[in-house]
Amino acid sequence: MSAARPQDGVFGIAATFWTAPDIYHACEKVRDAGYRRWDSYCPFPVHGLHHAMGLKRSRVPFFTFIGGMLGFLTGLTIVWYMNMDYPLVVGGKPYFSPVFPFPIFYELTILLAAFGTLGGMFITNRLPRHNHPLFDYQPFLQTSDDRFMIVIESSDPAFDPDRVRALLEEAGGEEITVVAPGAQAA
Amino acid sequence: MSTTGTSTRSSPAAGLAGAGSRRPLPGLLLALAVAGIGIGLVGLGTGLSAGDARPVISWLLGFSFWTSILLGSLFFVMIFNLFDAGWSVLVRRQLEHLLAGFKWIAILFLPLLLIAWFYRDPGILWKWLNPEHILPNGYTVATDALYQAKEPYLNKTAFTLRSLLYFGVFLFFANALRRNSFGLDEDGDRSRVQRQKVLSGAGVFACGLALTFAAIDWFMSIEFHWFSTMYGVWFFAASMRAALAFLLILLFFQADRGVLQGLHRPSHNYQLGCIALAFTVFWAYISFSQYFLIYQANIPEETFWYNIRHMNADGTTNSWWWVGLTLIFCNFLLPFLFLLFYKTKVRIPLILFVAAWILTFHVVDLYFNILPSKSAPADNVLNYKVRQFTINFWDVAVFVGIGALVLWAYLTSLREKGAIPRRDPRIREALEHHE
Amino acid sequence: MPPPPPPPTLTDTAGPLGPGEVAGTVKPVDLPRKPLVLGDRSYHWVTEKVCGICEQKTPTWWWWSFAIACGIASFTLMGLVYLVATGVGVWGLANPVNWGWAIVNFVFWIGIGHAGTLISAVLCLLQQRWRTSINRTAEAMTIFAVVCAGIFPLFHVGRVWFAWWLFPLPNANWIWPNFRSPLEWDVFAVSTYGTVSVLFWYMGMIPDLGTLRDRAQSTWRRFFYGTLAMGWRNSSRHWHNYEMAYLLLAGLSTPLVLSVHTIVSFDFAASILPGWHTTIFPPYFVAGAIFSGFGMVLTLILPLRAVFGLHDLVNQYHIDAMCKITLATGSMVGYAYAMEFFIAWYGANPYEGFAFINRAFGQYAWAYWIMISCNVISPQLFWFRKIRENTALVWIISIFVNVGMWFERFVITVTSLANDFLPSSWGYYSPTIVDIFTFFGTFGVFSVLFLLFLRFLPLIAFSEVKALSLPQADPHNHDHPQNQRGQEARG
Repeated sequence: MSAARPQDGVFGIAATFWTAPDIYHACEKVRDAGYRRWDSYCPFPVHGLHHAMGLKRSRVPFFTFIGGMLGFLTGLTIVWYMNMDYPLVVGGKPYFSPVFPFPIFYELTILLAAFGTLGGMFITNRLPRHNHPLFDYQPFLQTSDDRFMIVIESSDPAFDPDRVRALLEEAGGEEITVVAPGAQAA
Repeated sequence: MSTTGTSTRSSPAAGLAGAGSRRPLPGLLLALAVAGIGIGLVGLGTGLSAGDARPVISWLLGFSFWTSILLGSLFFVMIFNLFDAGWSVLVRRQLEHLLAGFKWIAILFLPLLLIAWFYRDPGILWKWLNPEHILPNGYTVATDALYQAKEPYLNKTAFTLRSLLYFGVFLFFANALRRNSFGLDEDGDRSRVQRQKVLSGAGVFACGLALTFAAIDWFMSIEFHWFSTMYGVWFFAASMRAALAFLLILLFFQADRGVLQGLHRPSHNYQLGCIALAFTVFWAYISFSQYFLIYQANIPEETFWYNIRHMNADGTTNSWWWVGLTLIFCNFLLPFLFLLFYKTKVRIPLILFVAAWILTFHVVDLYFNILPSKSAPADNVLNYKVRQFTINFWDVAVFVGIGALVLWAYLTSLREKGAIPRRDPRIREALEHHE
Repeated sequence: MPPPPPPPTLTDTAGPLGPGEVAGTVKPVDLPRKPLVLGDRSYHWVTEKVCGICEQKTPTWWWWSFAIACGIASFTLMGLVYLVATGVGVWGLANPVNWGWAIVNFVFWIGIGHAGTLISAVLCLLQQRWRTSINRTAEAMTIFAVVCAGIFPLFHVGRVWFAWWLFPLPNANWIWPNFRSPLEWDVFAVSTYGTVSVLFWYMGMIPDLGTLRDRAQSTWRRFFYGTLAMGWRNSSRHWHNYEMAYLLLAGLSTPLVLSVHTIVSFDFAASILPGWHTTIFPPYFVAGAIFSGFGMVLTLILPLRAVFGLHDLVNQYHIDAMCKITLATGSMVGYAYAMEFFIAWYGANPYEGFAFINRAFGQYAWAYWIMISCNVISPQLFWFRKIRENTALVWIISIFVNVGMWFERFVITVTSLANDFLPSSWGYYSPTIVDIFTFFGTFGVFSVLFLLFLRFLPLIAFSEVKALSLPQADPHNHDHPQNQRGQEARG
């Protein structure tokens, strides 16, 4: 394995871990070292890892809220629009009231809030993205089974291959590898 | 057991700690209870001598408020036992102490029974208790066709026996659960855990039925023409919410200066906050569905109950219309929106605020269900007035008096028995609970 | 009064101890929690087990089952083709029973769906970890049940090619839907329910699809799973948003599932018909739906567990939990029956009283007592551990639950219509062969969809199982043997 040099085409440096406690403590170390453009990869959401990584609370609820509000207003609008000059007397109910069409408002609120949530998840995660440099690194595919990985990306302002490598080694990482999509043939 | 006996420490901060306390809090509460209940009794006396139902209703309101809190607590104890969750163990013990007040609540129901048996108009509160009571239409209860149909259920003897039965069921399960839980602390007998579950399983059934019929007897039958199959569920939902809100307040004080300092944490509050959110939605769901179905079907036999909560006999909007709107916005919408946010559930001042808010509007909900009623005579063709929304001195006295008594019972129980279920199999999970 | 002297036991009330001190004084009795996954399995074992099911060669029994299911499904097809070609009169609907099997079947199927949402959403909010072993299957069941349910009202409208009028779309005649009608609310409720269930199901599956993509050998599998996985790469930053979104969807699905069956109950309860108009209908229908859904989950999961050898993942703990929920919801349904009966008498409305006496002792008494014995009595057997541990018996009771809940809807729908206010217009309803064919066929439709699901999609949410049901996934559990030496844990 050649020593890592800063060079074009390097995505980052990856280290493999085998257990949830290991990745948890390693993430704490990387967080405390002050890196910003890095990530960990786990086959399942490790409980509390966002604390270890120093992540902020997710922004998905914002999208849910917007969706829900839109849904409610949509419901209100369609019922109002379709009833305002369409006088229908059924069961002694008024032409428009917030009571009888309440189920409509309610269901549309939930429908659009759900779309907002799913959309929010994709937007906050910048997905779908079917191609990613990490997919070219064969051991990475094991992170969807039973391995854990930390990748510190070369775009981090503090990225220095030797120090990154030292940090990952100290954190207990194994198989520390430079991930460079172009150079994988070697 | 080296910790035994040495752990009792006196501290000025231990105001709610029971044994370690130098403060006269229980004594104060007892004095307050005697004063409040005494004033309430005076109110009952003046009401009865003047033939005025309002002070009697004050008594029922205060009684039902604290009954609902204790019933909710009883259900939470049983549900926590059944679900076998780890985080709830510490909280459950507080509720078990709160249940010490049940026997006092049962005794405080007696004045209403005595009125039914010995007052000259037993129908002063529940009209059907007195067949001679004059209805707004000018006839007596005895001639009322609906009363005649319901008479096998709505009569004095059956009512008395049923009320005794309800309290028998509640007290049996409350005491059995308490005894068993405290017993586990002493002997560490593992079979008690299983017994606790069996008791809870049976208790949910028995208490569920008792609560339903209690709600029908005590509240729904005030307007005995009216009926709703949902009513028991409404009282259940309201009780659960009230118990939860009261518990949150209790926990705040115990965590701040009482026995749970450093033990009760935001993560526990988070769980309780989530349940509070769920029951806020549940209460709204039940109340809305009941209203909505009656509104939609538009059958006069049912709608009159909501009509008097909207307008007077002459069609003018009355005070209950505003109370109803208050319930929608303040008892549901605002707490709902408030509890949606994570911060509300973990920040102590916020959760304290929302708990107090919920309790306040739970009181309003009870007023809405209990107070409005047609009374005669009136100078309109329908010959009835709607009793309007008022809060009077007797209400406050009874609320405070019974509350002080319940709190006193709670503190006494806390002083005698452990504040922490030390031998509960899940106690470590509760102490170490994090989100 | 003087406080009694503290007894010389652990029950003395301590002053404010620090949390550490208290932790030292507690002596919990030893009652360890049962493991959610038996056999101390590794992450890799879980992946292999679940992915193996859709990666193996298609088993022969699958083809047989699929052929039979298609055969059964064709009955629905035939029934519907005949109906469209002829008219709704081919069903047994006739005055006074104009809502017959179609509505019964609709409510039956939509109710079955509810357990899926309950398991995936409500139990998620309640942090019930055992749900992870069964939620995917249950969610799939939800979606397929909604598909089956949708068929009936769709064709009940008669001229099915005008069914789009139900939606608030402009048309040449300027006819707008009537928003006062519960049936219109149904359109919104059921279509929202179907859509959100699919979203929830799909979002929960994305990480697992990513695993299948990473394991895929053939190009088409890589393309199929790759497309569906949306480029998921197990990033913790993604998981963070994903978990929040999942929680929110659970939070949205819970009021949704309540509202859907509530609105279905409004179909009946918003009317003025005796036996239909009663305020407890919304929570009663919801409880009944969850009850029937859990019946169906048990009916499906027990054979699956046997066929695929999932005994470690779906073990007695899960069966116990499902049985207890069935017991609880069955008893709630029993409570509602009792309340209806009581208030029918208490309300003192002679029509209402008659409706209930007629249910229990009238011409449909046979249906009523089938309903009572299946729904209220049979689940009471789950009080006994011996019965909960007898898988065959649990399965049989689950069938009873399914049958009972169908009859519940039949009793509600038909008895009230057949004998309402005016004795001169009473009638007796019988289904025709077309009714029976169409309903029978929906089990085939359901099975076809379910078999396809088993074949192509991961039937257990294994990333969730790893996170929540395996003890070594706790990052603070350093003592777990599989966390001792990472290298050795790879087995």
